[in-house]
Amino acid sequence: MLEAKNITVNYGARAAVVDVSLRAEPGELIAIIGPNGAGKSTLLRALNSSVRTTRGEVLLDGRPLESYARRAVARRIAVVAQEAELRFPVTVMEFVLGGRYAWSSAWGWETERDVELARGVLRETELEDFETRLMNELSGGERQRAVVARALATDAKVFLLDEPTANLDLAHQATMLRLVRGRCDDRESAAVVVTHDVNLAAEFADQVMLLKDGREIAFGPPPQVFTPELLRKVFDLEVLVDAHPVTGAPRITPVHVISGKL
Amino acid sequence: MSRTSKSNESGRATFGRTLLICGVLLLLLAIVFVLASLLGSQRLPLTSSLCALAGGSNCGLSSEQQAILFDLRLPRILLAGAVGMCLASAGAGYQALLRNPLAEPYLLGISNGAAVGTMIALVFFGAHEWSRPVMAFAGALLATLVVYQLARGRTGATPERLILAGVIVTTFLSSAIVFITTLMDATRIRSFTFWLLGDLSGTTTSLLAIALIAAGVGVGILAMNARSLNLMMLGERDAFDLGVEVGRVRLTVFIAASLLVGASVASSGSVGYVGLVVPHLVRLSLGSDNRVVIVASALAGAAFVIVADTIARTIIAPRELPVGAITALIGAPLFIYLLKRG
Repeated sequence: MLEAKNITVNYGARAAVVDVSLRAEPGELIAIIGPNGAGKSTLLRALNSSVRTTRGEVLLDGRPLESYARRAVARRIAVVAQEAELRFPVTVMEFVLGGRYAWSSAWGWETERDVELARGVLRETELEDFETRLMNELSGGERQRAVVARALATDAKVFLLDEPTANLDLAHQATMLRLVRGRCDDRESAAVVVTHDVNLAAEFADQVMLLKDGREIAFGPPPQVFTPELLRKVFDLEVLVDAHPVTGAPRITPVHVISGKL
Repeated sequence: MSRTSKSNESGRATFGRTLLICGVLLLLLAIVFVLASLLGSQRLPLTSSLCALAGGSNCGLSSEQQAILFDLRLPRILLAGAVGMCLASAGAGYQALLRNPLAEPYLLGISNGAAVGTMIALVFFGAHEWSRPVMAFAGALLATLVVYQLARGRTGATPERLILAGVIVTTFLSSAIVFITTLMDATRIRSFTFWLLGDLSGTTTSLLAIALIAAGVGVGILAMNARSLNLMMLGERDAFDLGVEVGRVRLTVFIAASLLVGASVASSGSVGYVGLVVPHLVRLSLGSDNRVVIVASALAGAAFVIVADTIARTIIAPRELPVGAITALIGAPLFIYLLKRG
């Protein structure tokens, strides 16, 4: 579906992503994990060609991403970026309808179907009562859910999410990933999720990529990747890995070393 | 507005609702148009004037009144309307594109760019009237691109940075204007000072025609990009992700807005604050959807400048103020309020 082949992204002289390959198949949720500045967001943006690759290429359904019109890409790939600043008052409904832009003419109006779809995703993200509220009056978490709702409203086949749970409370973190997981399971979508939450990744992801200094350190199912050795290598941190008592997924607990002692 | 359709209880902009808004504003514009044509140093009678405006003959107007209505007031009101349309819609376009409710052609120095273009045309190609709007357009476009590049910086355009860039471009171009003024003969300087402040009294039929055509074309182009602007208003990267051809839309809007400002300045100088006041009031009452804001700003802007000009030519009659003085008196306090509110 979406495939990155040996991509390298340079920012000036600095290499942000080095020779990374990634393949997201229908139904698959891939988590990208790594320390700050590891190149996770850059990699995600390269998958949408909003960052130019220095080497390598990104293929969507076997064709280079650059060969698609911008609208055609937007119908297939949806992005949840880290939050943008809102200077004009728009309602939640107006905001979410932005996700329907690529489906009709650039100067037209939304159809009844667009509005129905938007209502649907507002229900899914538990924002149905917020339709007429203004985006800049929402809490950080509510706004984040609206951003995810807009991405879902695009009906895309591939979701690229950059820390979609960063501003969310515990319950909504799980809701959000369950939604994305649901799209993968029910509609054969694929998702690539950048996150700092290793335990959520362990529970929801099919594959995990560990990234450090722009390079792939490991790739595979969570139990293979979330090992104390690999995590130490990536985060310079001792961790304890056992099984989650309910789900059986790997459970990662950092072991903080304070003033040299355990 | 209309609450008949169950699916639109939110007041969301739809085609029908926009048509309704346009209808109401057109009606308002027609009323303002008629009132402005009656008022002045000599008042004209309502029914006879309406009859004459509707194309009737023998309406009971004296030949002097006929001349006042058709040769003096009508062209001037049409010009005021065209200028208002141009500046208000251009302001709405710049605001959406630069993601800043304070962006305004006059405050960003874009009107000054157009003024410099017009003056260069006057000094060097004085015989060719059409060279003025062409050079004004070029000046406006150049000033737009400079302000945009200055404001953008590495971290994106903050409101403060944009206004500062506007101040720099404005003051630089003001010096250029002073310099060009010294090249002119002394008899024309006074009329220039008036023109620089925004003056609707000294135009010609062809400049009026150009302003009206530019208003139609420019507003049309902006309106066609309104849905894209809705997304770009919330951030260019998000807009790109959602399928907007960001670079193409940005260039199109820059060109259309420069066309609007250029035509307006070439015919009537720099009328300030119209592009700030009108879109602000429109957004306040009708929401931020640019498919409404741009067209509604054009119509309301026309009415606003016609009213301002009627005040300018009646308040100290028989003498006149430049219309820009009136719009600035209304606009500057609003700017301060918006800045304070952040």
